[in-house]
Amino acid sequence: MSVLPAVNLRRTFLIARRDYLGYIKTWGFWISFLMPFVGMGFSIGFATLDVELSPPRYETILDETGQHAEGILALHEQKQTRKVERFLDDGLGAQVMSEDQRTSVRETLEAEGSEAAKAKIEQVMPSLKGQLKSLDSKINFVAPPAESLAESQAYLKGESLLQADGKARALDGLLYITQTKDGPKAEYWSKNINASDLKNLAANYFESLAETSYLAQGGLTPDGLAEAQKGRLEVSSFDPTKVSDDTTSQAVTRADKVPYYVAGGLSIFLWLTVFSGAYMLLTSMLEEKLNKLLEMMLASTRFSEIIFGKLLGVAALTLTAMAPYLLLMGVAAVGIALKGDSEIAQALAQSFTPKLLIFFFIFLVLGYIFYGACFIALGALSQSMQDAQTMTTPIVIVLTLCVLVVPLGLNSPDSPLLRLASLFPLSAPFAVIIRLPSDPPLWELILSAVLLGLLSLGVVWAAGRVFRYGVLSGSGMSAVKGWFNRTVLRRT
Amino acid sequence: MTLKTFMSRSPLSLKNVSKSFGGKAAVKDVSFTIRQGEVIGFLGPNGAGKTTTIRMALGLIPPDTGEVKLFGEKPGENAFGRIGFLPEERGLYKKQTARESIAHMARLNGIKKKEAFKLADELLDRYGLSEAKRKKNKDMSKGMAQKVQLLSAIAHDPEFYILDEPFSGLDPVNQRVLEGIVSEIAGRGKTIVFSTHVMEHAERLCDRIILMGAGEVVFDGTTEMALSKAPRRMVIASDDDRLMQTVSPFAEEVDARRDGGLNVILKETAQSQAVLERCVAEKIKLTQFEPKQPTLHEAFVALVGDDVRADMKSEMSEDLAREEA
Repeated sequence: MSVLPAVNLRRTFLIARRDYLGYIKTWGFWISFLMPFVGMGFSIGFATLDVELSPPRYETILDETGQHAEGILALHEQKQTRKVERFLDDGLGAQVMSEDQRTSVRETLEAEGSEAAKAKIEQVMPSLKGQLKSLDSKINFVAPPAESLAESQAYLKGESLLQADGKARALDGLLYITQTKDGPKAEYWSKNINASDLKNLAANYFESLAETSYLAQGGLTPDGLAEAQKGRLEVSSFDPTKVSDDTTSQAVTRADKVPYYVAGGLSIFLWLTVFSGAYMLLTSMLEEKLNKLLEMMLASTRFSEIIFGKLLGVAALTLTAMAPYLLLMGVAAVGIALKGDSEIAQALAQSFTPKLLIFFFIFLVLGYIFYGACFIALGALSQSMQDAQTMTTPIVIVLTLCVLVVPLGLNSPDSPLLRLASLFPLSAPFAVIIRLPSDPPLWELILSAVLLGLLSLGVVWAAGRVFRYGVLSGSGMSAVKGWFNRTVLRRT
Repeated sequence: MTLKTFMSRSPLSLKNVSKSFGGKAAVKDVSFTIRQGEVIGFLGPNGAGKTTTIRMALGLIPPDTGEVKLFGEKPGENAFGRIGFLPEERGLYKKQTARESIAHMARLNGIKKKEAFKLADELLDRYGLSEAKRKKNKDMSKGMAQKVQLLSAIAHDPEFYILDEPFSGLDPVNQRVLEGIVSEIAGRGKTIVFSTHVMEHAERLCDRIILMGAGEVVFDGTTEMALSKAPRRMVIASDDDRLMQTVSPFAEEVDARRDGGLNVILKETAQSQAVLERCVAEKIKLTQFEPKQPTLHEAFVALVGDDVRADMKSEMSEDLAREEA
């Protein structure tokens, strides 16, 4: 006798096809299918039309002491300068601009400040215009519209308007600094009680002021401290398992971390596939049970064909629903390969090893079958959507806990807990994928696949029994309780 | 022909089949064999075990004891595509059109795609549902949807039809249409088993009746045999006061009618002709003498009425005992 349930491929395909087309014809499917394109369209639209999602705030500093406003503005410009530097050194600029272009922008930054540097970037590489929004300041400083706080209140409330950038505007915020006998006192005034940019800037300024004052007591200066820190000892990471001719090139680079992020991404993808697919199976099963169509189908098909047909149909549907995301990821990967950091692009390409792809496929299939069969069985036992929701809660909690192995795998790939999770069938699909970049022993991977495979077979068999019992007896959990009482507890 | 050969050729045979749910017997020791080309009315009150028997016959649920043979073998792959099954509870995929529903079931039963859609169109045209071809099932009336489901069950032209309550929930016009479909199938020599509560349909369509009561077969025979089990009734009237006294020795039950006549249920051994002869001998001048044709409904009530009442009584006692415990 075969361990695998007998199936007729033609009938299984027909059931899969009907389930697939049944979902494809719904509005919900097309909304989620087109969602990434719509999102991308909005992003491009916003960038092209120069729409401000979070427009800068027009704020002012009313400094009655006359000692701090200038320092705060200088700190603001310093922060803007750092933003541009990061863009050039580690951000998009580092990936897409040539060294010459970056040098010329740096020169402008040093000579004319951050605003001029941004204009220079736009000039040397106009395609980056949309990306420069991230460098914009969230605060536009304006001159105080009045000489006292009381007079400024009308501007803050919007009762009086000030002129800025060619438009009449309300004053979004005001930093009010006064001198008391205990020292300077700062208050931040704004209608928007959640606004904090100027408040934080002022806090940073006063913090550095306190630091400068403290250092001065010892005859030191902040610049001297910064200079001393420049000579600090840098600690580099090395990986002894990295294949290289000499130890110096065994240093850990950003590219070495790429496989872990790829595995994490695949693990999340697998989880999303399992989660969304399993829910579709549950509702599909429940709909057919309530429709009373199953009984008619069972006169010409096997239980196993219906189960596998549903698994196949919903799997195809899930992959179709994921196709736009995969397509966009593919486009992004090609973009990085063509225009980005060649080291990262190479690492990305090398991450997709045959081993990763084979085990990803195995665990995607097994994980989907395992959880899908569980949800089919629960759908067969449910009498209503409420029933289904309450019965699936425990399994959803388990599934949610299982995805926590992904951050664990990124931070501690050698964790014993992760190793255990990769052998525990419920979490194995996600744990194994995230472990792959750290090259675990092959026997562990095979053992994990075998354990999950056996459990999946058992679940399919049990789902068939539950399906037969739940669908044809027309009963729900009460029938299972009755069976448990009679068979296990021997109660009549 | 040996018994074994006959059994193997018969579309369905059940031998001492029993099934319990939750310790309660739903079907008890049921045996019958259905011959090729028969049209069988599978009758019985609610809870008599008809649907459970049909499900066991199709192999949807296994019997606890006994043996089921479908086309001479254990129900399964062998019977796929050879059976047209319409379950008691109805349903269609709401978003499919009528032709898609019929074609889908036909394809599951082995018909190729192109042929399945052609068949669906032909059947819908033939049974007056042309306008529903591209209509979604959710937009159809109940009668229309029920006809579409029946067509889905029969499109592949099976050898053996099992129709569980095909007439339930339909208006008289649609019942007549459905009856026409069943008659047409029967006319092609196909084997049909259908369960129904409407005795008139069984009376008009069936060669044989299998009657179930409280999980057991209480009658299995021709329609004529079933009718002979019905009490014989007559209506008799006269202005003579002696009529009641003269009729009483022949009657099981006598009721006075509003028009002054008597409704008489005859004893098992009595004949209406004998009542007439006695009245003539007694010189009673009759104003009405009308022997009534027995109906299957009366036979049904006579055959299962006591069983049903006894069963209900026993269930009530069990419930009471449980509550007291």
